[in-house]
Amino acid sequence: MSQSYFRAVALGAVAGIVAGLFGVGGGVIVVPGLVLWLALTQREASGTSSATIVASSAAAVISFGVSGSVDWRAAALILVGSVVGAWIGAWIAGRVDERPLAITFALVLAVAGVRMLF
Amino acid sequence: MLEALALIALGLAAGAVAAALGLGGGVIFVPSLVVLFGFEQHLAQGTSLAVIFPTAIVATVAHARMGNVRWPLAIPIGIAGVIGAVIGARIALGLDADLLRRMFGMFLIVLAARMAWRAWGLTDRSERSPDRT
Repeated sequence: MSQSYFRAVALGAVAGIVAGLFGVGGGVIVVPGLVLWLALTQREASGTSSATIVASSAAAVISFGVSGSVDWRAAALILVGSVVGAWIGAWIAGRVDERPLAITFALVLAVAGVRMLF
Repeated sequence: MLEALALIALGLAAGAVAAALGLGGGVIFVPSLVVLFGFEQHLAQGTSLAVIFPTAIVATVAHARMGNVRWPLAIPIGIAGVIGAVIGARIALGLDADLLRRMFGMFLIVLAARMAWRAWGLTDRSERSPDRT
């Protein structure tokens, strides 16, 4: 038990730093960490990860907000779209082959990543 | 007005892709805001976090109702996550926007590589353990 606590704390610390540093949720670290390191199922890992993101994103958004680095209007507009988008995505998920979708999206991310390097 | 519609469209697309592929929206919001909308890196990251926070609350409520949240693990991870996030945000806010943008670009390339790698093995994995969905 104490070992899993140690692992949980280490995982949270790393994920939190990534979340604060890059403005992401940190699920990219927490979910695989929970599956590979703490033997959770994918489903439990997703649920547990989202609960931890509530805390870490709150802390990070306060830090960015205090320094004036949040466009609240843009965030609200994106949020409106993403609520609807999530429904569409959940509908797509069961009906489309995930593999070509994931590979295409990985390519898009890579191109965006390269653009941001310069 | 046009920009407002474009931001809603970004949310729509990002929300759909995120839900379909099971990944968080931040990975999509930040590069989109920087590359497509010309946001400064810090502003893009802060804005992304402002979308993630309410989204995570809704997701957590849904997951908790289905019994998918392991609270004894979520609590220590969350507490450590808060400390980490404050440290990470301090580092980010202290960095030059161009440097932070380049670091984010590298982070994105690593994520893309990992994602492509996993997608490549997707069928193999499901063949090996069909019960693990």
